[in-house]
Amino acid sequence: MKPLYINGLSCISPQPTFGAEFPFEAKRYDSNRLSCIEPDYAPYIDPKASRRMGRLLKYGTTVGLQALRDAGVGSPDAISTGTGFGLLDDSGKFLKNVTEAEEGVVSPTAFIQSTHNTVSSNIALTVGCKGHNNTFVNKGFSFESALLDAQMLAEENAAMKNILVGAYDETTDYSYTIMKRLRLIREQEIANLDLLQTPGSGTIAGEGAAFFLLSTEKVDTYAILHGSEILYKPTSTDKVKFKLEAFLSRNKLVLSDIDIVISGLCGDAKRDEMLGNLNDNYFTAQTILGYKHLCGEYMTSSAFALWLGSMIAKTGSIPAETIIRDSHRLTSNILIYNVYKNDHAFVLLSK
Amino acid sequence: MKSPIYITGLGVISSIGDNVDQTLDNLRKSRTGVDEIKILHTQLKGTLPLAEIKYTNQELAQISGLETWQTRTAQLSMIAAQEAKDSCKIDYSEWRCGFISANTVGGMDRTEDFFKEFIVDNSKGDLHDVVNHDSGDATEIVADKLGMTDYVTTISTACSSSANAIMFGARLIHNDIVDIVIAGGTDSLSRFTLNGFKSLMILDDKPCMPFDENRKGLNLGEGAGYVVLVSERVMKAEGLTPLAMLSGYANANDAYHQTASSPEGNGNYQAMKGALDMTGLEPSAINYINVHGTGTPNNDVSEGMAIMRLFGEKPPVFSSTKAYTGHTLAASGGIEAVLSILAIQHGLIFPNLRFTTQMKEHTFSPQVSLIEGSKVDHVLSNSFGFGGNCSSLIFSKA
Repeated sequence: MKPLYINGLSCISPQPTFGAEFPFEAKRYDSNRLSCIEPDYAPYIDPKASRRMGRLLKYGTTVGLQALRDAGVGSPDAISTGTGFGLLDDSGKFLKNVTEAEEGVVSPTAFIQSTHNTVSSNIALTVGCKGHNNTFVNKGFSFESALLDAQMLAEENAAMKNILVGAYDETTDYSYTIMKRLRLIREQEIANLDLLQTPGSGTIAGEGAAFFLLSTEKVDTYAILHGSEILYKPTSTDKVKFKLEAFLSRNKLVLSDIDIVISGLCGDAKRDEMLGNLNDNYFTAQTILGYKHLCGEYMTSSAFALWLGSMIAKTGSIPAETIIRDSHRLTSNILIYNVYKNDHAFVLLSK
Repeated sequence: MKSPIYITGLGVISSIGDNVDQTLDNLRKSRTGVDEIKILHTQLKGTLPLAEIKYTNQELAQISGLETWQTRTAQLSMIAAQEAKDSCKIDYSEWRCGFISANTVGGMDRTEDFFKEFIVDNSKGDLHDVVNHDSGDATEIVADKLGMTDYVTTISTACSSSANAIMFGARLIHNDIVDIVIAGGTDSLSRFTLNGFKSLMILDDKPCMPFDENRKGLNLGEGAGYVVLVSERVMKAEGLTPLAMLSGYANANDAYHQTASSPEGNGNYQAMKGALDMTGLEPSAINYINVHGTGTPNNDVSEGMAIMRLFGEKPPVFSSTKAYTGHTLAASGGIEAVLSILAIQHGLIFPNLRFTTQMKEHTFSPQVSLIEGSKVDHVLSNSFGFGGNCSSLIFSKA
């Protein structure tokens, strides 16, 4: 499939990624739950509407609108998004209201906003985008499915020039408590910047939103997105290698062409086993970067990684706190390799 | 237009049957699945009807082969997707196979049980009830059991979800990512969904009356519906007889309101027109429209206005089968895809049950009795949802 140009982007995360300088100075947290640094929403969302909106709807919508503004595109031809849990806070709120009211009279607001496609449709509503609109909700594949959706659209229809793609997730008090009980989160508080140096049991919880305006035309481009590939439950590193080499070959590259691997290590020794093994024994010539210590673990964190990769491709600078192993390579060809439980995914971009 | 996508298998479970044969029999006999509440544990029992599948989760697990603690959403998905898979004589191991599902509710039916204890004391509540909460979970469980994992994903665009899953599946084949896809959707009833629709005041407290002047709202239902989509290459190599072709599809957004359709049905029109344009057919070639037809005042006006705009004052024969199955939300596009293909296969047009009075905004009314032995070559199936998500599929005789 033809590559697409990343002509606009935006990211809200637990780091100063929204409208700040790059490389940013990584923010240190001493809690196992990282929350987004929220901007003033007034330039994006009518304050009256904003009061009724949940946090994720606000920061998701804002990032989508800012990616469009960044690219100078008023309304895209299509919107495709991904989210693991969707609008979890509204879901929890509505569930609480229904439970406490013993199924009596409750307000519909939280129910309406709890629908997974709310962010995607709210952006469409705001900019009057009447084109294709999709939302994928499959754990670690959610964002990559949206990327593929966009790339297929551009392939199928010459009129599809500007496609807005993004992903968003939130951690709530309820979900954090449940994740802790499920032992997905570290028992002891750990400083986020130390997470990847001290593998243990569990990770840290995160959240965030990142959107990209993908275009068939090159205009003030951040990076070229070649494509993405998903790999469900690979049983061995050989299977990963086979799939990756085929993926690279379809994009007319070989492994040695890859300069940087942005690796989805999460600090959980068991879950990182395959990635760590590949970093040590396969991606031996590449610079290895980590990112989950900055944004925390969540199902669509690979959108944060794509934002990071795009900024590196554009500026040629690498935030110091992301470097796991520096092989002093160029910043031309960047591979994102994320793992969320059974879901492995590659995204390939270049300068 | 690229080479066509063929449908070679079907699977369905809903309040009108556990499988394709039972469903067809009940459709023919005008037997509705809308009934008083019997299975769902809810305080609303006795106050309004639902279109439930009359099995407990334990009974469903007997049929699906999943564990009893797994979500109802996954159980329903497993039963219908397995039927679809088994209905085709394909050596699946020879091909790249994907499973594309859809749901809105995920594991909410279990989460809400967990929640009762959890909100009183957050160290309480059985974690088994909450681990399968996210929407992708049911999809991965079923993809594993089917052994169809070369592409796995889930779509959630409210009530148009499984129409979009079928569309995405077809596009994966067109773009040479996989050769075979089982695509559709699933949703189970939950107190969360029931009270959500109740709070929006769009539930009818009697069996629903789609496209009727006196309609009051929808009845919620549950179920799952899947189709097996294959490329021409697979069809020929495996010597399969296609049931139908997926000849057109389109996804558009109404961009009007978060929960309501524009009065003139702009998104609905764009979706239908886009699908029709892809087929290259004249509007008059459509023999039957399986309308979205939820029975809410808003949907049926908008959808009818859009139909009038596209087809003129005398549109093709149409009916809403939601009077049989209730509105099964993310499953509806998949279930109605199965019904649309059954219409083509058997030359049937299903009645719009309980219709009596034509809507004053429209120049037409739905089909009220079963038509047999009809020439049904092209069927348009509509799925419209919250967030202005509008999708249409066209199935054609192969």
